[in-house]
Amino acid sequence: MTVVTTPPPPRLPVRRKARQDARGALSPMLTRLADEGATGVLVRERGTLHLVEGRVVDAESPYAPGIDVLLTAGGALNAAAWQEAYAATGGPAGAARRLVDSGRLSAGALELCHLGALFDAAYFALAPSSTPGRFRYGTTAPPAVPRGMPVAVVERETLRRRALLHGVWPHAAVDDAPLVRTGAPAGPALPPRRRAVLDRVDGSRTAPAIARELGRRAFATLLDVRRLAAAGLVAPAPADPADPKAPPRSGATDPYVALLKRVRDALEAL
Amino acid sequence: MPGIDECLLDAMRLPGALGAALVDWTSGLALGTVGEAPGGDHETTAAEAAELARLAAEHRAFAAGDGEAGGPPDPPVEDVIVSNRDSYHLLRFVPASFDHTVFLHLWLARTDGNLALARIRLGEMAARLVLG
Repeated sequence: MTVVTTPPPPRLPVRRKARQDARGALSPMLTRLADEGATGVLVRERGTLHLVEGRVVDAESPYAPGIDVLLTAGGALNAAAWQEAYAATGGPAGAARRLVDSGRLSAGALELCHLGALFDAAYFALAPSSTPGRFRYGTTAPPAVPRGMPVAVVERETLRRRALLHGVWPHAAVDDAPLVRTGAPAGPALPPRRRAVLDRVDGSRTAPAIARELGRRAFATLLDVRRLAAAGLVAPAPADPADPKAPPRSGATDPYVALLKRVRDALEAL
Repeated sequence: MPGIDECLLDAMRLPGALGAALVDWTSGLALGTVGEAPGGDHETTAAEAAELARLAAEHRAFAAGDGEAGGPPDPPVEDVIVSNRDSYHLLRFVPASFDHTVFLHLWLARTDGNLALARIRLGEMAARLVLG
């Protein structure tokens, strides 16, 4: 009997991990601005980044609570003290500095809160977008904490956070959709932080809304929600086709739209 | 008033200190680092230490006993100590008055480090960082 040996199949091509060439992977425009040491505001679909001499000094996103929400909801400050400082200085950064100067907030607490909020908002601001970003050159309002972060660090951290979420539960639908409880019994071993998130799942709130309500950073809440989803306790609410308010289906599957997006990305990368 | 960098530099003055970092245990983000890191990479060390800290903070087995009014203390754990043949790792949770989930990570050489002293001092530094 002859044994026919076939050569082993060729190795499948392995796509290079984004992590290995993180530079420019999120926003080529941001990388270019960092290289030229630009100062100004980068406005993207899901948030804005404030740059001073090519470093990220502040970030905002409608999906992530700002330092005002984080500080007042947790009890580090009362809302009246914040309002008063805000009215006197006309901005969140000025208000925060005034509270530190008057001794009502420690410099360390502000720095912690500011950095936490910066990376939180940057995660959303650097999320894939369907519209190009815009950059406005010019000085921005001075940030609450002068310590800026190199663009490369912010990009690397954002990619790491995406990978972290993906590792916990690979379905991103729970990040934006209203959440429902599946009815599965939650074990007594649920940590208190995650239980607080689960208690607020009511069929209409989304993960960012829960974060705002609890005065927590949105990314930490996304992680909690994905862990709850992985445990089978929450799920995205099924879309109601009769609801006229429901957002239209994304056009990402339309070949023309996909082509236009690729053209846009190529132009942005020039 | 101390900021993150001053706090970490303070920690480095402890006898035997090799490196220190301030790390967020939900995300694994290093908010500040000073000195050396085991393996040479502060970011990787931060992510690994954060995983250990998260398990300690989330599992009921390590929480203090019940009986206090006003819900569970945040964070439920004060510190995590890991020792090996040549060094100590001391993770000290920073008390939270708003939503942050950070801890101080101090890496001590076993030959000149004093674990008891470092534990007391690191606790004081953690409190000073957020309370001023």
